[in-house]
Amino acid sequence: MKKNYKILTLKILAPFIAIFLAAFFSSFVILTINKSPLEVFYTMFKFSFRRLDSIAIILYNSTPLIFSGLAVAIAFRMGLFNIGVEGQYLIGTFLAAFVGFSLEGLPPFIHIPLLILSGMLGGMIWAYLPIYLKIRKGVHEVISTIMLNYIAYSLIHYLISEIFIDRSQKLLIRTPKLAPSALMPKLHGVLALFGIELPKHVYLNWFFVIAVLLAIAIYYIVYYTPFGFELRAVGQNPEASRTAGIDKEKVFYKGFLLSGAIAGLVGLSDLMSYFGYMDLDFPRGYGFDGIAVALIGQNDPFGIILASILFGFLRRGAEGIQTLLNVPMDTIVILQALMIITIVIINKIVGDYIKRLEKKGAR
Amino acid sequence: MEKAIVLKNITKRFPGIVANDNINLEINKGEIHAIVGENGAGKSTLMKILAGLYQPDEGEIYVFGKKEKINSPNRAIELGIGMVHQHFMLVGRFSVLENIILGSEKKKGITIDWENARQVIKELCDLYNFSVDIDAKVEDISVGMAQRVEILKVLYRGADILVFDEPTATLAPQEVKELFVNLRKLKEEGKTIIFISHKLDEVLEIADRVTVLRRGKVIGTVFANETTKEELARMMVGKPVLLKLDKEEVKKGDIILTVENLYLRSESGQILLEGINFNIRSGEIYGIAGVEGNGQRELAEAIMGLRAISEGEIKLVGESIKNLSIRERRSKGIAFIPEDRHKQGLVLPMKVWENVILGLHRKREFIRYPFLNVEKIQKFARGIVDKYNVMLSSINQPVEGLSGGNQQKVILGRELSQDPILVIAAQPTRGLDIGASEFVYTRLLSLREQGKAILLISADLDEVLSLSDRIGVMYKGKIVAEFKPEETTLEQIGLYMLGVYTDKDGETA
Repeated sequence: MKKNYKILTLKILAPFIAIFLAAFFSSFVILTINKSPLEVFYTMFKFSFRRLDSIAIILYNSTPLIFSGLAVAIAFRMGLFNIGVEGQYLIGTFLAAFVGFSLEGLPPFIHIPLLILSGMLGGMIWAYLPIYLKIRKGVHEVISTIMLNYIAYSLIHYLISEIFIDRSQKLLIRTPKLAPSALMPKLHGVLALFGIELPKHVYLNWFFVIAVLLAIAIYYIVYYTPFGFELRAVGQNPEASRTAGIDKEKVFYKGFLLSGAIAGLVGLSDLMSYFGYMDLDFPRGYGFDGIAVALIGQNDPFGIILASILFGFLRRGAEGIQTLLNVPMDTIVILQALMIITIVIINKIVGDYIKRLEKKGAR
Repeated sequence: MEKAIVLKNITKRFPGIVANDNINLEINKGEIHAIVGENGAGKSTLMKILAGLYQPDEGEIYVFGKKEKINSPNRAIELGIGMVHQHFMLVGRFSVLENIILGSEKKKGITIDWENARQVIKELCDLYNFSVDIDAKVEDISVGMAQRVEILKVLYRGADILVFDEPTATLAPQEVKELFVNLRKLKEEGKTIIFISHKLDEVLEIADRVTVLRRGKVIGTVFANETTKEELARMMVGKPVLLKLDKEEVKKGDIILTVENLYLRSESGQILLEGINFNIRSGEIYGIAGVEGNGQRELAEAIMGLRAISEGEIKLVGESIKNLSIRERRSKGIAFIPEDRHKQGLVLPMKVWENVILGLHRKREFIRYPFLNVEKIQKFARGIVDKYNVMLSSINQPVEGLSGGNQQKVILGRELSQDPILVIAAQPTRGLDIGASEFVYTRLLSLREQGKAILLISADLDEVLSLSDRIGVMYKGKIVAEFKPEETTLEQIGLYMLGVYTDKDGETA
């Protein structure tokens, strides 16, 4: 029993060691631009955590990353790499936007779920192609999803600038605005009940709550349902799973479509609360951040929530050091990159050590 | 006569088995010395000791008269011992020349001295009459030539003793002929050759002397021109060591499994199973004997649905199952104990209780919609752990932490829990110690008493003879003979297994 605690402690500690090491190494980068690392880190914390609205911004920042991390993690459980979350969420976001601006006069409690379903559908469509190609034609999903990302970029570009451009605008290239009934309410009202007053420029909305609930749901699906059981079995030993009568292809289809459906939710928080339309500058890169988040969170739903909040904080802190210390935001990108490298190394070391511990105990 | 290698009292133990038991062996300089034995007789272990991959627990090794410790593959090379592996260790994209020098490149300044390497290899080819295109890419050359490249590799490194691990296993007959020409030339030039095989015809053709191993022990060394295939085969399989088992008379019931005219081809069109016919009744153990790689594994996988058959029919209780999925076959009552439990039987990183329901996880009794009924599953798992006496610290432990025997018990427990009518047991005692093996035997016999049909595939002849009601011998994808154990002998089966006898009436090859 004592050994189990040791293993658990190590597992929890590993990411923190990695983060610390990454901070240590990035200190040297900060030194090269003649700034004090301590001052930079201190400013990041102070700027991020001193005020409640700043914490709310961090949570808002983390919302798309939770979805993205979960989407990557689900595929990874089956031993597949969904590099295509990027394309899947852009397609999903567009489909949701389309439903948002083309339908009017619906009550919000119908219109909002409709957008969410459209987003998921879009993500699923874009995930179906690579998994179909993999199972039917043996095309590696990494190649096909990367290619589909570029196709998605161009397709969205075309749809926004040619087909669904808002003609009432002279200067801006974007879709028409979503109907008011399609906008996701912010959390301000609920939080006010607890005496937490947030200013208007904070966009923290119900998608954060949905993301957390989804993470919990995914945890139960993966560990406690027959489907999740198959997902893990296929991911860890496809041959034994097949011998036991599990239909691997079916699991791949279901799992990858689920991954795509979750990916389709990534862009909705931005679309339905902050922008209210989709334009050519709609945020990109959440899909790739999701890979990093899943990695740091070790494909565990709760780890993913924490890793997303960490990334949300880094982004907020980056704004802080840029404004207050004139340190370029790219410093934080370096920090993030270092974090990913150190986490991979530390995980490997800790993982090997835990395996040795477990083996020792068994005999 | 000068001795190239002398082994004195070499013993090597692995957990649960003695792989080499007090081996004494002398290999003369300049001879071709064959080492034969069944799978698991200890040939590979012995060779790995010579190649520096394993260290013996006891005993001494003399190389050219000097006592040596071969503690690494590099040391083996330094001593002039070179291995020619059964599976070639070549880089497909590299040329023959590049492959030969890979790992021992001689340099000129900071670049590789290609001219010198080319020169040396040319000379080697001329000396031994090897026909090799040294600029061809290895991926484009034939298997026979790839093997010559392997031989050149060890010659280039200065080997005087060449160890061949089943060199003819992957060769076509004419390539075997060419290999033998090469081997004789090597011998002429004073090289010593150790030739591991279980193909007796070839051994008798090429070797000067033959040493037979059985169960880790040297049975004897004979001159090739003074012995016969039959004598060697008898030395290999030995006297019957029948296991003492309480095998009760069981009344045979209806035919459970029928296999008719079954053909199976590999993706490249090679015939793996050729016209297999047999049936198993309830209460009967049908044993398949054979040297591994003669289609036993393919047969089990074809019945289970893991491989699509090319022709023929498979029936379970009179009903065709050849188009059913694996899951459907399982739900019709087929249980499968796969030969490779790590690859096919278990998901090693998953917990014991999770492995116990692998494939059964959609059963209604284990579901509390929409979740798995973990409580009930764990109770089920504990039941199996108790019934089969699985030694573990917790059912929450990953199954990879269990010993081989306990892992096998987990598989047995799972596969037999669903009251199957047909049990396919492939190499069910492989790697298990005596205690665990006996446990498996009693389980199989009690299944027989319960009226199950059992297909037992094993490379262990004693096992097959002691347990089976009927025995089919497989050789090159065919069942070449069928016996009742009381009407045959270990030797007779051995002769069929090794391809000495090939027709069903026996006696002549």
